[in-house]
Amino acid sequence: MHRVFKAGIAILAAAVMTTGALAADWTPPGPIKLIIAFRAGGGVDTQARLIAEELEGRLGWKFIPEQVTGKGGMNMASALKDMPNDGTAIGMGVTETFGYNMAAAPKSGMTPADFTGLTTTAGFQMGVVSPASKGWKSFDDLVAAAKGGEDIRFGVMSPRLADLAYLLGKAQGVEFNIVSVKGGKAVLDGVNAGDLDVGFMAGIQGKGVAAGDLVNLASALSEPLVQTPDAPTFADLGVDFNSDGYFVFVGPAGMPAEARDALAAAIAEIVADENSKAGGLIKKAFGGSATISGDDLTVLMNNDYKDAGALLDAASE
Amino acid sequence: MGTLDYIWSGVLAVFLGPELFSLFGLPVSVTLVMIFAGFFLGIAVGATPGLAGPIAMAISLPILISVFGYTPDALLPVMGFLIGVMKGATIGGAVPAILFNTPGTPDAYMTTLDGYPMTRKGQARKALRVAHLSSVSGDTFSDIVLIVCAPFLALLVEGYLDLPEKTALLILSLSFIAAVVGGSPAKGLISTGLGLLVAFVGTGEDFYPRLSLGGPVLAQGFPLATAILGVLIVGAVFKELADIWREKRISGELTTIEDSGDQKLGFREIRRLMPHIGRSAVIGTAIGALPGIGSTLAATIGYTVGKARYQKTKSADDPDFGKGAPEGIAATEAANSSVSGANLIPVLSLGIPGNAAAVFLILAADSIGGFNPGPSVFRFTRDAVNPELVIAFGLFTAMFIANILNWTIGGVFMRSMGIMTRIPKQILLPTVLLLTLTAIYVQETRMDAIWFTLGFGVLGYAMRAVAMSPLPFVIAFILGGKLEESARQAFAATGGDPYFLFTHPIAALFMALSVGVIVLTARNSRAKASGATT
Amino acid sequence: MSNESRSNLILGVSFILFSLLLIFVWIPLDTDSGILEKVRRQVIIGDALAPTLAGVFLLIGGFILVVFERNAPDQSEIDLVNLGFVAMVVLLLAVSFLVMRYTGPALVALANLTRETPLEYRLLRDTAPWKYSGFFIGGTLMIAGLIGLIEGKVTFRTIVIGIVAVLAMIAIYDLPFDDLLLPPNGDV
Repeated sequence: MHRVFKAGIAILAAAVMTTGALAADWTPPGPIKLIIAFRAGGGVDTQARLIAEELEGRLGWKFIPEQVTGKGGMNMASALKDMPNDGTAIGMGVTETFGYNMAAAPKSGMTPADFTGLTTTAGFQMGVVSPASKGWKSFDDLVAAAKGGEDIRFGVMSPRLADLAYLLGKAQGVEFNIVSVKGGKAVLDGVNAGDLDVGFMAGIQGKGVAAGDLVNLASALSEPLVQTPDAPTFADLGVDFNSDGYFVFVGPAGMPAEARDALAAAIAEIVADENSKAGGLIKKAFGGSATISGDDLTVLMNNDYKDAGALLDAASE
Repeated sequence: MGTLDYIWSGVLAVFLGPELFSLFGLPVSVTLVMIFAGFFLGIAVGATPGLAGPIAMAISLPILISVFGYTPDALLPVMGFLIGVMKGATIGGAVPAILFNTPGTPDAYMTTLDGYPMTRKGQARKALRVAHLSSVSGDTFSDIVLIVCAPFLALLVEGYLDLPEKTALLILSLSFIAAVVGGSPAKGLISTGLGLLVAFVGTGEDFYPRLSLGGPVLAQGFPLATAILGVLIVGAVFKELADIWREKRISGELTTIEDSGDQKLGFREIRRLMPHIGRSAVIGTAIGALPGIGSTLAATIGYTVGKARYQKTKSADDPDFGKGAPEGIAATEAANSSVSGANLIPVLSLGIPGNAAAVFLILAADSIGGFNPGPSVFRFTRDAVNPELVIAFGLFTAMFIANILNWTIGGVFMRSMGIMTRIPKQILLPTVLLLTLTAIYVQETRMDAIWFTLGFGVLGYAMRAVAMSPLPFVIAFILGGKLEESARQAFAATGGDPYFLFTHPIAALFMALSVGVIVLTARNSRAKASGATT
Repeated sequence: MSNESRSNLILGVSFILFSLLLIFVWIPLDTDSGILEKVRRQVIIGDALAPTLAGVFLLIGGFILVVFERNAPDQSEIDLVNLGFVAMVVLLLAVSFLVMRYTGPALVALANLTRETPLEYRLLRDTAPWKYSGFFIGGTLMIAGLIGLIEGKVTFRTIVIGIVAVLAMIAIYDLPFDDLLLPPNGDV
């Protein structure tokens, strides 16, 4: 499936050149409300604001960023759902919101069908990370420590990752004390302060790993990490699921094609440009942009939602 | 590189960084200008009721990053600016507290207790001088401690405090506040309980936002600014409006207060204030060094300890604490100002923020890159240069530049804000109210936030009407989320041990202290009550 | 000094009743998980524990008020006249903010009576002078109204003060910052 996406990215990259003209055909009828699902001033918030700023500079569109945080992006989604779908209201969050979280919260009454996917900006570099001070060089060292009777505190920042941590332990025949914290930064803080022994980090670990303070023990993705290609993936470790996910721009359902394409192309162009502030940030934290849009993104969001059931079932066994 | 080389490089990084313009042939670095700019903005913002340092930092950070970009060169100008705002807002916050009885920041609430009575006695400028002197002394002391202790103390504290101990520490803080500050232990507990309850609406780990009554309005919970500014500022404004209205009804006219008498601060008075400043500076610094506990608690403890001490030593005709004693201002301002420096100990050495201002410094470092607050900062490498350590000393230098500004021109600038006392209150209070509500709206961008704030304002007024201190409410609201989070984490981390608060010795000690403080004060107040009835 | 005020007793009883209602009705009905939950073979703290703890604080506080502090000295008297004044203030504020919220859309609807292509306030919320209309009218009403309420009369001077204050706030929050929205422009 990933290969399909990669082909899609390549095609899209080519398409960006041609849709540049298309983008000019559509202009938003008024200022665009940009609802950000992450805390103000954070790395992702900055990403969203920089993209908006660049778009304002390049195309003269007016953006009004606004924070609606909490509940793993679900608050953003429910605020966005009933907004006008003429392209004057979009949101930025993560694909996990529209997949696992909506599947796990049927009471919210939301499904990916209530939204129009615009484009992703970058993929997570989700690693299982421990501090160098623990002395673990590889994932096997961690398992050996756990089997040796040491209590392992495993930091996670979402219910989906808690499920994955549980299944990881199950596949390896050990039990982790899974500790939920608020956001990737909190996992990093906990690991640095010694409150956590190991945790999921989605790209924030880059600097620490480069400096030798942190170790990527495993990749929680379907493919190896860019920074530590030798670390085993979840499939190698006997887990049938992974934490593949992206930062994503969405709009309410039923957005007209020209608005959707124009917004998606304009955003994709900026994040792919490493000389732009937004593109530079993404290059530094996530190793480069990953822009999936159009029907590919619709398929991705729907599949995430459908597949979440299997993970929920597996983790509740 | 040796230690001294590192310090010197840090100083040079500030003074010889990228040059903005030159003055009489001397280059003036961008960083210096940014520290100045931040400092003055901070005083103005702190002196404006309804605004506070963190709001100014939140608004300026994206702007600063847009201006300076993502290079390590941006670190010192941007963080220098934020440090300037932090320091300026700390002294600025005392201005509205003293002049209008409306704390600009939550930690200035205690300043109103003696500052405002002094204003009513016509000693506003003197009160401002006391606040400035105490604030700057506390701040400078705290910075010195930061620089001397950062590498050692934080590692030590953090080494002994694990998740269960952190939870117990939060419980201890809450019990202390409830028992000591609330007016009576019962009212303190109620005020605390209300603060916790409000903090828990809409939050939690389930996807269903708890206690939201099924609707979207409460689903995001109550924003921090609405609860704090609502109870502390809007509630105070309501009370004040009612007071001047009643005053007018009784006397038929509105009174204005003119400054009278000697506004200077003599050497003998400074000598009398010094013990209070010193004691509170130590308290504030010690509290600031503990991650997660902010300046509001420091101000409260500084004031309470100062009060107990003052009662024993004062001469009979001196005013009591709460009746316009300069010592009360000194004890409060020295304590809350000395938090900011020490608060950077866990920030710089562990990357853990203790208050909102520190959060924004971390966010700045994080967004710009090249400086990763954490243990790696204080590695004194000999062969290669550790650029982060240079930045760290650059930040210390920035703090001292801000302190020098503070000592020299900060007081004048701060007192110039005193011009606002000339504005009649019936004009000023409505304006402050709209300013506060507008600031909240600008931050939250939804009308719900204004309705929440007005609701909390009514609550704040009601609490004052029944003599219940709103402070435990505010502190419980701030700590509530942290308390739940750390309790959940400690419970999970210990593998579901229900007695985690009692099986770890330090945690158990904190718990024993929490129970002790409540029992002691309850017994005290009962003794007082029965003494009064018999 | 004997004290006739029963405010502590009333306060205590009210909080005992409220906390019981909170713990036994509101929390169970309005949280998804209980006090402790078993998830992924691990016992974890549920969403109901923390609010229940808050309820216990209120319960104990109310209990101490009733039992130990019922006869405490210097209990405050509730001043009904003051309370009435504060109620008027709150009412005035509520009206002002409703005016603030709906002035812009109302003006646009008025303008549409004479226009071929109808306008929409939502799309004009970042365009002067539309974006200032609600804040200007509602803010002036609030400040002038409050001053009038205290002074007992509304004069020309009162209104001018309100207008100047509102204009100053627009200058602080709107002119220098491109991204900031004055009320009510984030809601429309």
